Amino acid sequence: MPKTILIGSPNSGKSLLFNRLTGLHHKVANFPGITVDVGIGKMRALPEMDLVDFPGTYSLQAISAEEKVAVEHFQRALQDPDVEQVLCLIDATRLEKSLYFTLQVIRDCERHSKPVTVLANLIDVLDNHDLSLDVAELGAALHTSVLPISARTGKGIEAVVERVKAVREQALQPPRAHLIDAPDVLLRGTAHQLSRRFGPKGDVLVRTQTRLDSFFLHSVTGGFAFFAIMYLLFQSIFTWSAPAMDAVETALAAMAQVVVPLMSNHVARDFTSDALFGGIGAFLVFVPQIFVLTFIIGLLEDSGYMARAALICHKPLRLFGLTGKSFIPMLSGVACAIPGIYAARAIDSPRKRLLTYMAIPLMPCSARLPVYTLLIAAFIPSGTAFGGLLGWQGLAMFCIYFFGMFCGLLVTGLISRTSKDHYTDLPFVLELPPYRIPGLGPLLRNAWNRSKHFVTKAGKIIFAVTVVIWVLGYFPNQGTDLGTSWLGYLGRIVEPLFAPLGLDWRYAVAILTSFLAREVFVGTLGTIFGIESADENMTPLVEQIQSSDLALGSGLALLVFFAIALQCVSTVAILSKESGSGTLALKMFVGYLFLAYGAALAIYHLAAIFT
Amino acid sequence: MPLSGPQAPIDCGKDGISTPMNLSLWSLKAGDRCEILGYDQVLPENYRTRMMEFGFHPGETVACVQSVAFGAPKVYRVSNTIFSLDEEVADHIHVRLIDTDA
Repeated sequence: MPKTILIGSPNSGKSLLFNRLTGLHHKVANFPGITVDVGIGKMRALPEMDLVDFPGTYSLQAISAEEKVAVEHFQRALQDPDVEQVLCLIDATRLEKSLYFTLQVIRDCERHSKPVTVLANLIDVLDNHDLSLDVAELGAALHTSVLPISARTGKGIEAVVERVKAVREQALQPPRAHLIDAPDVLLRGTAHQLSRRFGPKGDVLVRTQTRLDSFFLHSVTGGFAFFAIMYLLFQSIFTWSAPAMDAVETALAAMAQVVVPLMSNHVARDFTSDALFGGIGAFLVFVPQIFVLTFIIGLLEDSGYMARAALICHKPLRLFGLTGKSFIPMLSGVACAIPGIYAARAIDSPRKRLLTYMAIPLMPCSARLPVYTLLIAAFIPSGTAFGGLLGWQGLAMFCIYFFGMFCGLLVTGLISRTSKDHYTDLPFVLELPPYRIPGLGPLLRNAWNRSKHFVTKAGKIIFAVTVVIWVLGYFPNQGTDLGTSWLGYLGRIVEPLFAPLGLDWRYAVAILTSFLAREVFVGTLGTIFGIESADENMTPLVEQIQSSDLALGSGLALLVFFAIALQCVSTVAILSKESGSGTLALKMFVGYLFLAYGAALAIYHLAAIFT
Repeated sequence: MPLSGPQAPIDCGKDGISTPMNLSLWSLKAGDRCEILGYDQVLPENYRTRMMEFGFHPGETVACVQSVAFGAPKVYRVSNTIFSLDEEVADHIHVRLIDTDA
């Protein structure tokens, strides 16, 4: 199949053009570096031609490991005989940023005899400001065709298709090689001169942007705007997605009521009820939250505000080896680690992205809330101090929430300080994109695709683990008694590990099942203590735990353990997929398990001293 | 078109230029305009290269658009692009002040 490569610098509108030419729906955002995969699609007007969308890089001289992968991939593609031509997208409003990269692309294509067409995007923005780009003269200077286009409005797209057809049908060869031996430093100087000659003069294109920035980045108004926007983000996570989450839960329960009685075999019935509707359903409930959060984050990216938020947060997060771009993923992690890990895609620095991945699972996600609620109710007195102003249980909840955040920052801070490859990373140079009004269609499509990705990619692993835990808990006694099931035996085997924390096999079993999802801890304990629907009404379970003479130190140890341990198979699965490294996910799982255990042990002994 | 232009990054050691107008890009205030003189040798080669790819060439005029509070990265305009740079990078770019709003 013949191929055309589409390449361009970050935030030049490449994904939008790809979508126009193929009819597919790649992620489009007003945030540099949004294309992280190589996308392939057939050109709508030329079905026999594959269009290959490459990740945006600022130059072919890679300075990070990730850029190196992208550049090597491009170089290999140029050696592919199926690759017939290259479309190089430039931002007509910011030639300086695009032309050096373009000259490198032209040079490398000359070396492999691949014709290049330069597409000058955002020509509509120049039109709106009564500016123009002399494409004929620029084409003459570059020794190749330059077509003015607008990926947003569709202007010039037909000409692009005609050009691709012409190159294909006439087997056009690139003109005489004029850059073939040019070193990068010479190309940089040439790009600088060309951008001065052809680029828009003055600051007319950025005046509106500068005016808005003087509000959104102002020390006072910018701070208010930031907190207001983050408040809305939190509302979206906790409040707006709640009705949809409830609806999914209700729908699944209704489906279970219809489907389960149809099963004649009781094993199949129990499996469908507990493993399918109970286990898989527990993760499907998060889909609306991921949809809403992806939509809001997309809105922030497309509007151009995300880059400003990254700037505002950069300084404090830098202290912990992170970047301002880590803020939104970490904030998302307060609802659920999974959308947070997805949001970390926008971090262009591989090192900072890795550190962000490490911090996200320690953010106090909503799945920890029922566990915290149960343990705090069981172990912390409900009294108040300072005339009722301060409740001990509320204070405990506040402390355990911030303990998780503090641990996340501590881990990244320590790792970033002990690691020596600081300058192999990308510098914090953030291009602030123009403010734009986001399109509803791409936002909804993106949110839908991300939710679908969550279900299809994580679903397989979650299903496998659910089945394993269900089988262990169900056999050999057909689910009549969890205590005498294989899981119960397993709990007794690992009991010695938890004995130093003052916990018996029942808590060991509940911890084991909570690796499916943290909140399962409450339901499992309820089952073991013989309490129906403990996850909906915790009071009887709280009373049972209180009457079981479990020490305060054990309760605090459990709180600390749950704050640190990576007990969520969905998070581990998505971490593995997104980082492209199953080893990293496994290392984090094991590392946080040991850290959680060590911290819990320390708290247990510390509590023993004071009680 | 003949190939020409700046041939190589101009490195000037921190003490290489001793005129009173020799400042770092980080020291600019909002409204200041400057000309880039060169890069500190302390800044790694890959950082310098990337900065020039963004348009921060020696000889180029840069305006400080916004100086955000609490040491947050500052906002600069070069040509028609707005960038935010933190101290780690901007402090190693030597500039000459052209004019100021202050």
